[in-house]
Amino acid sequence: MAESRPTTVDREDAGLRRSITGKQLFFYTLGDVLGSGIYVLIGLVAAAVGGAFWLAFALGVTVAAITGAAYAELVTKYPQAAGSSLYVQKAFGNKALTFLVTVSFLSASFAATGSLATGFSSYFATLWEGPPALLVSLVFLLLLLVVNFIGITESVVMNMLMTFVEVAGLLIVMVIGIVYIAQGNADFGVLGDISVAGNPALAVLAGIAFSFFAMTGFENTANVAEETIDPHKSFPRSLVGGMIVAGTVYVLVSMAAALTVPVDQLAESDAALLEVVEQGILPFSTDFMTTLFSIIALIAITNTTLVTVVTQPRILYGMAKEDVVPGVFAKVHATRRSPWVGLLFSGAVVAALLIIGNILLQAGGLDLVNRLALVTVVLLLAIYALVIVTCLKLRGRDEDERTFRANTPLLVVGLVGNLAILGFSVYDDPASLLWCAALIAVGVVLFLIEYAVGSRNRPPGIERGDPEAVSRTEA
Amino acid sequence: MHVVVATDGSPQSLAAAHHLTSFADPRKISGISVVAVIRPLASVAFADEISQPQGRAGEWTGSFREAAQRAVDAVAAVFDDWGPEVHRQVRSGSPAAEIIEAAEELDAGLVVVAAGGRGLSDVMLVGSTAQRVQHYAPCPVLVVRPAREPGGTERGRA
Repeated sequence: MAESRPTTVDREDAGLRRSITGKQLFFYTLGDVLGSGIYVLIGLVAAAVGGAFWLAFALGVTVAAITGAAYAELVTKYPQAAGSSLYVQKAFGNKALTFLVTVSFLSASFAATGSLATGFSSYFATLWEGPPALLVSLVFLLLLLVVNFIGITESVVMNMLMTFVEVAGLLIVMVIGIVYIAQGNADFGVLGDISVAGNPALAVLAGIAFSFFAMTGFENTANVAEETIDPHKSFPRSLVGGMIVAGTVYVLVSMAAALTVPVDQLAESDAALLEVVEQGILPFSTDFMTTLFSIIALIAITNTTLVTVVTQPRILYGMAKEDVVPGVFAKVHATRRSPWVGLLFSGAVVAALLIIGNILLQAGGLDLVNRLALVTVVLLLAIYALVIVTCLKLRGRDEDERTFRANTPLLVVGLVGNLAILGFSVYDDPASLLWCAALIAVGVVLFLIEYAVGSRNRPPGIERGDPEAVSRTEA
Repeated sequence: MHVVVATDGSPQSLAAAHHLTSFADPRKISGISVVAVIRPLASVAFADEISQPQGRAGEWTGSFREAAQRAVDAVAAVFDDWGPEVHRQVRSGSPAAEIIEAAEELDAGLVVVAAGGRGLSDVMLVGSTAQRVQHYAPCPVLVVRPAREPGGTERGRA
């Protein structure tokens, strides 16, 4: 019997048991991206551009997919689950910059969750008009938090099923478009129509900025990089592939929507894709189609919101581990192993956003939630541009023959694209900078609190999360 | 007999490992496999609360796999010099399913898991890992509950 020290076997085998296959990752990306924007924001894009808004989607998606390629390269080099902040830290080694990136990302994520919860209530109202929209959004949020706390977000199969449903919903829209064309009713002139007053190029840029929101979410897939089987091969393929498929679907869906519904009607709708279904082009009762499509839209939005709700506490957890936010965010529940403080915090922030947004909407008509969602696209664009720079800067470091290498000229195009959209967004809406500054200020306050009291709330010699310290505080 | 000792990085799981050594006869155990399971789609894929030191502040790399490996090492250290050969595994997926699969693969004669407290969440929310392992494991299961001694360090109790 082995009694001496080297009792370890299996060590070399330990790193091999990963569980996410390339196919699962593909569907994870696809589902995450598809739910985020098209069901919620298509009306805004149509309003900004006119009938040619598919062009905005096509360009926005291209820039996003190139950014995805930069993420894929970084993921294959650094598969730890930390995403953009880790990469920026590796490239620049500047704590303040890393912190800024993390806080920006978190703000964007909170705003997106708020926007998605509002979108959920819009579609829900078509099924049952009874409860007030705010209540629906809040209950929706609460349910997602509970689901996350229990830990049943982990079902990969569930994730794939929801993605299939999402794709099915968009296929319905496409089929409606095809039937409409087959009936000979389509006026293709609409697709070239940029009917907005002013410079058409600026109109398309505005549309791209909105459509960009529909692509966000792909960076969350970096979360599962560490557990992906053969990440060097499968990650770039699944991430970029998922984004290209999502982008193609977006372009086709926006063409179908533009052909079948007058653009001003799309622009005014809270649930624009429902307008397409309500045209009665397919030989089913409109009621049936509306109900079916609403349910599909609700599932799509749920899928994406779930990912954002899972990601926020994870980011807070990482920040607490790094000692940049208070240590309570690193607390996990004794049995459920969920970061319940982070979950509660995320829930509280989004709930506050929804409630304040509702009060402002009632009082003066400022749509805070959607305003924030669009404002934070500015933050995301800055992060995306920085990630591409990071990718280029880290060339030649930590590489081996398996590292995926994104096409360099393409990355430069992506960088220029991100900066152009960023520049336009700020030019078009300078006030968005103020909003961004306010959001980041909240993060800085958290940081200063931690800086002032963080090192004092732990007895010397005890590391955070020490079992004794934990069992004492959890009584 | 081969024994699978599961850890979720919690102090309770460390206590469960200690509990095994407090009564079992090491000569009857042919090998021990310490198993941790990473949950890729969860907010915190693995939380290590037991290794010493747990990676110094500011050095968090974001790697849950490293955290899981440290927790496995910490639990494996309980069996240093106890006798049986110690194996270590970090798996990925749904904890209960992976623990059961490990037990089947290793043809285990016993699985040791920690149960949480008796808090509201364990009464209200079905499907905790310990419950599911008990139901579906191919062999006997030792579920170690935390003791209710006030203020003291946690010690396992069957």
